[in-house]
Amino acid sequence: MSITAETAKQHANDPAVLCCRAEEGTVLAPSNFEDPAIFPDLIDSGLLNTDGALKLGQVLNGSKLTKTVDSLTPITPDIIDKYDELEGEEEAPAEEAAPAEEAPVAAPAATLAPVVGGTIKLHIGEGKNIDIELPAGLGGGAVAAPAAAPVAAGAAEAAAPAEQEEKVVRTLSRRHLRIDKVERGPETKIENHVLYIEEGIEEKAVESEKLVQSLKIDVITPDNYHTYSETIMDIQPIATKEGEAELGEGVTRVLDGVLMVVSGTDANGVQIGEFGSSEGYIDENMMWGRPGAADKGETLIKTEVVIDAGKNMERPGPIAAHKATDVITDAIRKALKKVDESEFEADLEEFKQVRRPGKKKVVVIKEIMGQGAMHDNFLFPVEPVGTLGAKPNVDMGNVPIAASPLEVLDGCIHALTCIGPASKEMSRHYWREPLVLEALHDPELDLCGVIFVGSPQANSEKFYVSRRLGQMVELLDVDGAFVTTEGFGNNHVDFVTHIENIGKRGIPVVGFSFCAAQGALVVGNKYCNAMIDNNKSMSGIENEVLECNTLCPEDAVRGVAMLKAEMAGEEVKAPERKYNVNVKTNNLELIEKATGKKIETVENEQSLPMSEKRREKYD
Amino acid sequence: MENLQILLRQHVGKPCAPVVKVGDKVKKGTLIAEPTGLGANIFSSAYGVVEDITDDRIIIKPDDEQPDEYEKIPEGTPLEMVKAAGVVGMGGAGFPTGIKLDTHFDGDGYILVNASECEPGLRHNIQQMEDEPEKVLKGVKYAMEISGANKAIFAIKKKNRKAIEKLDELIKDEPNISRHLLADIYPEGEERAVVRSCLGIELEPSQLPSAARAVVINSETCSRIAEAIDERKPSFLKNLTVRGKLNGGNEAHVFMDVPVGTSVADLIERAGGIDGEYGEITMGGAFTGHATTLDAPITKTTGAILVSMPFVDLKGAKLGILVCACGGNLERMEDLAKKYNGTVTHVCYCKQAQEQKNGTRKCERPGICPGQVKNNLEFKKSGCEYILIGNCSDCSNTVMASGPKMGLKVMHMTDHLMRAVGHPLYRTLRVSKEVDQDLNVADNIENN
Repeated sequence: MSITAETAKQHANDPAVLCCRAEEGTVLAPSNFEDPAIFPDLIDSGLLNTDGALKLGQVLNGSKLTKTVDSLTPITPDIIDKYDELEGEEEAPAEEAAPAEEAPVAAPAATLAPVVGGTIKLHIGEGKNIDIELPAGLGGGAVAAPAAAPVAAGAAEAAAPAEQEEKVVRTLSRRHLRIDKVERGPETKIENHVLYIEEGIEEKAVESEKLVQSLKIDVITPDNYHTYSETIMDIQPIATKEGEAELGEGVTRVLDGVLMVVSGTDANGVQIGEFGSSEGYIDENMMWGRPGAADKGETLIKTEVVIDAGKNMERPGPIAAHKATDVITDAIRKALKKVDESEFEADLEEFKQVRRPGKKKVVVIKEIMGQGAMHDNFLFPVEPVGTLGAKPNVDMGNVPIAASPLEVLDGCIHALTCIGPASKEMSRHYWREPLVLEALHDPELDLCGVIFVGSPQANSEKFYVSRRLGQMVELLDVDGAFVTTEGFGNNHVDFVTHIENIGKRGIPVVGFSFCAAQGALVVGNKYCNAMIDNNKSMSGIENEVLECNTLCPEDAVRGVAMLKAEMAGEEVKAPERKYNVNVKTNNLELIEKATGKKIETVENEQSLPMSEKRREKYD
Repeated sequence: MENLQILLRQHVGKPCAPVVKVGDKVKKGTLIAEPTGLGANIFSSAYGVVEDITDDRIIIKPDDEQPDEYEKIPEGTPLEMVKAAGVVGMGGAGFPTGIKLDTHFDGDGYILVNASECEPGLRHNIQQMEDEPEKVLKGVKYAMEISGANKAIFAIKKKNRKAIEKLDELIKDEPNISRHLLADIYPEGEERAVVRSCLGIELEPSQLPSAARAVVINSETCSRIAEAIDERKPSFLKNLTVRGKLNGGNEAHVFMDVPVGTSVADLIERAGGIDGEYGEITMGGAFTGHATTLDAPITKTTGAILVSMPFVDLKGAKLGILVCACGGNLERMEDLAKKYNGTVTHVCYCKQAQEQKNGTRKCERPGICPGQVKNNLEFKKSGCEYILIGNCSDCSNTVMASGPKMGLKVMHMTDHLMRAVGHPLYRTLRVSKEVDQDLNVADNIENN
């Protein structure tokens, strides 16, 4: 297709090929030329040979055709009256929307150079309880370290823009209780590391939801992982807030070694989320150890919920299955509240929300599913991963909503996604969100928060929420942004629009998605130049293995390095045309070399016993 | 004589409202329906009795005797008379001429006379330019007077030598009236293409010719303006071409002054009747017309009735559709795909086929291709064996530059009709898009 002057400029060093027939005497203009972005496809299919062709930048200066030629003719010196000589061997910056992942230059962003012998000016406009400590050698003018100005909490900004002290905004602690065994008993309680679930609680769960016909509880211990399960709709940590603490701060009590697992079908036996579902033997169909999956060794309390026939693809159906399961989880939460503090692990696991003024300010944006049916999420429940008090993002119009990193890690998302299980983030994923953890702990980044934005069904709504997101990111005044998504296809429309709305405001942005072979972006724009592919599967496909292709620490590390490179003004190399896992491997090696730290990578579905389904459909 | 069916919606705008009752006697030129919004008066095209009035038409049973006299419109200013006579654009869209001309160029504007007869196979406009150019010229002068235009340009294809020679003779002493020669490619007659060719101004799809201080008006419409003013004659007649797979060969049958409401069957019969098997009958040109039936009536805007060759049976093969603003819309293309017995697997739109507010599409630069290989790649990717395209000459040429090499079998939406009228198929372009304005300079016809 014909190109604009702007595109022609970007491709000044690419071959000049006519898009259409042009007659003798035509003065060549950008609209005469085919878009070089599609040349590789044309060359592959034997339609084009650009050998000996002049470059676009050489022929847009008044060159005139001396012969009438047809479309897809490369411009060569013999068919034009004049052309410009090539200027140097400069590589044009190639900005390209592409599904594959790109190579970052992994040099860590430069830290501030120590001030040597300069003046240090401190100006404090207004404030109280301000303590300023300066190195003793200051007066002598030979200070080797940057001045540090620790400012007491609550003080007004001290206007020393250079190095500033970290500031802890709030803290979240997890108090762990090991569970050795799960049994049934007359009441739900926890005693001596044994969790008892009330006999007959199933009936209470069924009664709580009109659409639920039956509910069965299976306790699956590690020696029993080779058990058939209907499609797994969610994996949830069991946790409760201590005292009056709100989500994202204070103390959270959590059970170790045991998880809630929601599964189900409709009354006709159709999977909830049929058309990409994870039913089958659990050991073969779950990617153990992923942030959102179970770890080997954990006991699964699995509900198998049967809902009214035909309700499996309508919104109320899956919601009912989740809410009925939460009746049981909530009973466990109540029991957990009663356990004496002495029974818990002595050490609290502590998460600090740290702000690092003066460092590169970044935001993590997580696109979550919001198309309706089972594509929904309950946001901000009262209890971690609960349902009570939560609002579905679909009902809130999928607009962007701010969360603290600690709210994310404290289960502020109760996830209702299940179609396409390999790339969807279960509730447990947020509990261990690798990108949030990586960005929070990186001493060179100032993570200001997390934004959740739903992915609506209709395009018009997608653009609506994207525009809101762009405005929100603008007002945050960040230096860089991460955008993650789950799934692929429909949600990619808003995913790339989010990136565009951030990128066009001049903010460097890195995107994370499963793409690989099957999920290549259906749309793109010039801001999609820094992308991380979450794929882990061997064939680059949605293999229906639960959590296989979700965001892992190895992806977070690459994304952080890429954003730092972008924020430092370095160029991210264009991707290869087809998905190639070596790009990822090379990136990881580059990062290891630059940081001197070994990065562990996770295994993929090939480490699992081969399932019938995989043998037939995929591998 | 058969009953006449006069549609209440003859063209763009709202349907008209009947002003006669069943049983009323009518004459040629009796006002029978009036506009309810944007529109134009509708008149009876025969002497007879109103036999029935339905939601969409008035049916008139004609008398045996049909005198030439007609009911005259009232005297008035030229503009009032054009409006009263219900003259509309006869080139196809049928925009009311009285509204189009009601502009005020105040001595600085153009009347562009569209005599390009751009749809392939049509002949009636050129026939009129050969036979009665004086009447057309008279209408042009009235149009200049009404609109305040100081200049007029006839746009006509260079291939019509006889008509051009007549025209040149007629306007040799008219300093403000000239002619501009067009190449024989489609869509030279598109309104904005005419403005571009004659005035060198490229209009946006949303702009009207008035943005270039011009009114584009079809040559037959000009003659109807002259009739309205000089003869006080209401608009109830239409010139048209009947052509295709007819007994006696595929030459054009030109019928002048056909009463509006005449059936397709009647006209085909007058042209010799259908010759055996055929594919479909279209009303209007091959690019912009639509399939019709034998009992359908013609309107004030009907330019042609074409009988096509039978459709090739693709036996359910995978077919891609390339929709272009210059040819059929998606609905028409799907209709054809069905008639070809193809399975539509992918639809692309030409990059320049810009969707307008009313849902129709207009080409951003009519007749100047933006490149098509990207669409072909998509068709190939989605497994199409055939592609059905509705593009103009230049774009069809571009499709051909890559489609067949990729193994795509290219068909044009006009093929079944071009075969029937003996016109070359729209594929690779073999003529220059530029023509010398000197009638005697032969243009470069390539040898590619």
